[in-house]
Amino acid sequence: MTNLRKPGFVLGLIIIAVAIVASLAPQLLATHDPFESVATDRLLPPSAQYLFGTDNLGRDLYSRVIYGAALSLLSASLAVVVGVVVGAVVGLISGFVGGRTDFIIMRFVDVLIAVPGVLLALIVVASLGFGPLSLALGVGLGAAGSFARVMRSQVIRIRSEEYVEAARTLGVRAPAILVQHVLPNAARPVIAMAALELGTAILSVSALTFLGFGAPPPAPEWGALVSAGRDYVATNPGLSIIPGAVILVVVLAVNRVARAIGGDE
Amino acid sequence: MTQVKAWAGYLLPKLGQFLFVVVATYTLVFVLVHFLPGDPLIAALAAKGGASTVIDPAELDALRVQYGLDGTLWQQYFGHLIAAAQGDLGISIATGVPVTEMIGRAFPFSVQIASLALLFGVTSAVLITFLAYAAPWPWLRQLLLQIPPFGIAVPAFLSGLLLISVFAFTLGWLPSAGARSFDAAILPAITLALPVGALFFQVFSSAVLEAQNSPYVFTAVAKGVPPRRIFTKHLLRNALLPSITILGLLIGYLAGGTAVVETVFSRDGIGRMTVNAVLARDINVIQGVVLVVGAIYALVNLLVDVAYGFIDPRTRIGGGVPSRARLGAKK
Amino acid sequence: MIEHGSGAKAESGAKAAAAASDAADDNILVVRNLHVSYATRSGSVAAVRGISFVVPRGKIVAIVGESGSGKSTTSQALIRRLASGGRIDSGSIEFEGRDLGPMSERELRSIRGGRIGFVPQDPSKSLNPLMRVGDQIAEALRLHLKLDKAAAAAEAVRILDEVGLPDPDARATQFPHELSGGMRQRVLIGIAWACNPQLVIADEPTSALDVTVQRHVLDNIDELVRRHNTSVVLVTHDLAVAADRADYVAVMSNGEIVEQGTTEQVLSAPTHEYTKKLVQSAPGLASRRLTPSVTALGEQQQSSAGKLFTRTRPAQPAGVATASGVATVAANSGADAAPAANILEVENLVKTFALRRQGGGSQVLRAVDDVSFVVPRGSTFSIVGESGSGKTTTARIAARIASADSGTVSFDGTDVTSLSGEALRQLRRRVQVVYQNPFGSLDPKMSIEKIIAEPLRAFGVGDRAHRAEVARELLEHVSLSPSLAQRRPTELSGGQRQRVAIARSLAIGPELIVLDEPVSALDVSVQEQILQLLVDLQVQFGLSYLFISHDLGVIRQISDHIAVMRSGTVLESGTAREVLSNPQHEYTRELLAAIPGQRAK
Repeated sequence: MTNLRKPGFVLGLIIIAVAIVASLAPQLLATHDPFESVATDRLLPPSAQYLFGTDNLGRDLYSRVIYGAALSLLSASLAVVVGVVVGAVVGLISGFVGGRTDFIIMRFVDVLIAVPGVLLALIVVASLGFGPLSLALGVGLGAAGSFARVMRSQVIRIRSEEYVEAARTLGVRAPAILVQHVLPNAARPVIAMAALELGTAILSVSALTFLGFGAPPPAPEWGALVSAGRDYVATNPGLSIIPGAVILVVVLAVNRVARAIGGDE
Repeated sequence: MTQVKAWAGYLLPKLGQFLFVVVATYTLVFVLVHFLPGDPLIAALAAKGGASTVIDPAELDALRVQYGLDGTLWQQYFGHLIAAAQGDLGISIATGVPVTEMIGRAFPFSVQIASLALLFGVTSAVLITFLAYAAPWPWLRQLLLQIPPFGIAVPAFLSGLLLISVFAFTLGWLPSAGARSFDAAILPAITLALPVGALFFQVFSSAVLEAQNSPYVFTAVAKGVPPRRIFTKHLLRNALLPSITILGLLIGYLAGGTAVVETVFSRDGIGRMTVNAVLARDINVIQGVVLVVGAIYALVNLLVDVAYGFIDPRTRIGGGVPSRARLGAKK
Repeated sequence: MIEHGSGAKAESGAKAAAAASDAADDNILVVRNLHVSYATRSGSVAAVRGISFVVPRGKIVAIVGESGSGKSTTSQALIRRLASGGRIDSGSIEFEGRDLGPMSERELRSIRGGRIGFVPQDPSKSLNPLMRVGDQIAEALRLHLKLDKAAAAAEAVRILDEVGLPDPDARATQFPHELSGGMRQRVLIGIAWACNPQLVIADEPTSALDVTVQRHVLDNIDELVRRHNTSVVLVTHDLAVAADRADYVAVMSNGEIVEQGTTEQVLSAPTHEYTKKLVQSAPGLASRRLTPSVTALGEQQQSSAGKLFTRTRPAQPAGVATASGVATVAANSGADAAPAANILEVENLVKTFALRRQGGGSQVLRAVDDVSFVVPRGSTFSIVGESGSGKTTTARIAARIASADSGTVSFDGTDVTSLSGEALRQLRRRVQVVYQNPFGSLDPKMSIEKIIAEPLRAFGVGDRAHRAEVARELLEHVSLSPSLAQRRPTELSGGQRQRVAIARSLAIGPELIVLDEPVSALDVSVQEQILQLLVDLQVQFGLSYLFISHDLGVIRQISDHIAVMRSGTVLESGTAREVLSNPQHEYTRELLAAIPGQRAK
């Protein structure tokens, strides 16, 4: 792995590892109880005791960010799973079968793409109600269209490769061609895209929680933390900017690793 | 005469595609709203009056008729479709105002920041690409090329809040909120331009890179053409051509982005209206907005397609020799 | 031109320099001890390693080499425009007595296009697709000759006329996609010569063109050279082209000039090993039908070596029991039993494509138009033609990859025209295909062993261990080390890949192999090895070949029968001897005359 020699990639991996630990076992990283208010310690700037400072209720912002990882990252991951499963299967069928089936499927995909992802998520959220699950479903559905398109174009690209035609003239059956040639060669770009999509999904999920469509208030979702700090942006800008920066750093890390998987650099 | 026929042959399928996307968008929204669990009207009323709102069934039926949520699904589907074609998108459950009117009022504010954002985004993307192309040192080129991946990763609410805290609160140069003056549109437009510009940059810069390594640029260099002329005469047009195809995609991005940006800057507009509608579970408004955005997206794509037919000599309509001659080249 | 080997570079460079200063006026270009390298991720790679040569005024100097020899890098270095990562490490390039090395970009720009013209390799991509061709010539005129717009436009039309474009007024206003490959190359030649340069560098100017077009384009260059007294550096992979056109030849290999001198010297009395090999293997220069270097495997051998060979029929039409156990006793003369004399018979094939014209409407292209031929068992039947002749489509129909609109394909006496599904798949046991591009036809994710064993797996032959063993054995048959079995295709050279593709086609024991331009993507020295391998395998395994090529030189080396195609029809066919030594059709004669290397004879 030549990637391991690149500092940006390694840093990205470390950040992702920390984020995963925070999602699965926040108590390992948190320094305070994320819900405990200390009335005397309101709106404190970052210090050794409160790494990111405290909010208007005197809660430790750092610990809230750590505990928020689970909600934010898990719904983003779930969204990617929804997008990949729906999109990849549809794209695979469309590309491999081709002809009329392909034409009809792709017209539906066109529509999924015509509606901006955020709006699609909003429809789902408005219909299903607020919360992490409906967010994941909405964001995932919004991503499924472009996934289907990428998967299909990969399949079509590979299908037109000479080695696939060669396999056919060797007497290999269609299902075997799909399994032995098309899937292995399509895997890498699709995985890379799924990884990139994770970055986008984290952004979409945090945008929607910022707008107030996530879990109800005390829950420390990242977007909700930024939103809660908005009222103090004139006096205590760190309150919303620090969680916002955490989102940025995680997304950058995910994108960096995703590009490396895609062999972009 | 043949010209007319050629144009018709080119345009009609594209027009059909446009209509299809609009109708299909409507259908998709309809399906999502009616087949996801839950009664939209009850949800909306609960959001309005609190979870414990009790409505008597007769009143509920009357409300259904008022908001166009009565009758069988087929009746609703076709009824609303025909109404929408005539410009009637129904009545908001939360405010009682016709949706068309609400959208009409909010639309100009959003168009203002969206078009500014598109302008900022695209010009800075072209500018950064040119600077990276002309950069005498590799490190500078690398640095410039790092800006756009960054732009894509920044959450719009973060960049918006940062801009507010620096330019509105610290420096006091520009207003932090409102939609009345042109000044108030600048910060939201920049916020929105960041992801849009970055997205455009990705496509444009890779097209430039591809063109830069192309044999025809080598030919130009071997002709003695200076770098700036190579960029403007040989690279720019060839790279812009594939880039304009993502214009439709950018419109979608802009439409989604206004939701966050208008909330951050407390501006009136389509985005904020949509957010409020979702908070009120006002399904009629959401449906109307999505339909309008889908139609704009399809329209932009239609225009891009037509423009392409004009600009690119390889797809230019009518005129020119239909070249069988191309078969003469070996590869 | 000074002859020296690759030995002591500094010394020979000095010699070149000394000689150059003796006759400074006569040499337009003097290259001394030039080193060029490319920076790659794994460090710097030397592409040109200390070459020295001179270009006398008004002469054509050919630089001949195979891919990777550094010849293209040399041509780019001569105008100091290397691909990214490339740099000139040392040495000098003196053009009219001035070293280009330390020159500023600005100064270089006045030389490029003005005093040194450049004809690039690929006419289909070397013109700006969005600019009218007249404007592309005018651009150079306005830059260097400072002509105004109208004068430049008029001059561009005159140049188009000079390079032999019919109707130059109209052509000048067209876009590149409206011109054929040959016409585009003429436009590029026009750009190179537009400002009446002292030197033109032509980097493989005709290798992307059909052979008859190539001839006209080279004639055009000859004429310009004579008229303008231009010096030319002609970079080519084709020794025969160099032989026909150049006054001096420098042979490059591995970044060094291994031999140089007058064309006559180099070709008639090559001293370096590599040049000898090149001269020997150049198909246009000296090709004859290759003879097998092995004898047929006897039945005994075949079945001992042939735990691998899952033949369903005997290779030779001999009355012996087949592996599948069907007795073909002479008396039992059913149609199935005695193999037909012709392994493949193709009758009245027609295939049309609807071409979509710009702006709607369509026209029908008859890609294959009433084509008939037979392939006698155990022989090689070749179809030769230029691009667009329909030869590949014909082969694809014959191999049942594509289907015809009408006509029949019979294999071994059985009509297979409309086979489909499982029956068609079973036909693959007996008919295999080898493709042109050995980089595309092998799945990059598979190991060589898996690739070769794939047909066996598809037909459920043997277990995994057996198939691995067969793959190794086949590797030996195509003269590759079995140690390559676990490698991936990307780790192999083009020639090695094509051997793998051939091994794969043999695995299931076919009787007929359709070879679609199997050597045209390979270097000439490799080409001959592959052709020799094919000839040997044919004898060893009693194979029949349907061979497709655009290159009569290659065709001559392998064919028993030849059909010449143009525009979808067979113009002429017969035994190789008849067609090659006594061509009946005008076009065949033209093709034969266009083969480079005539002068060498």
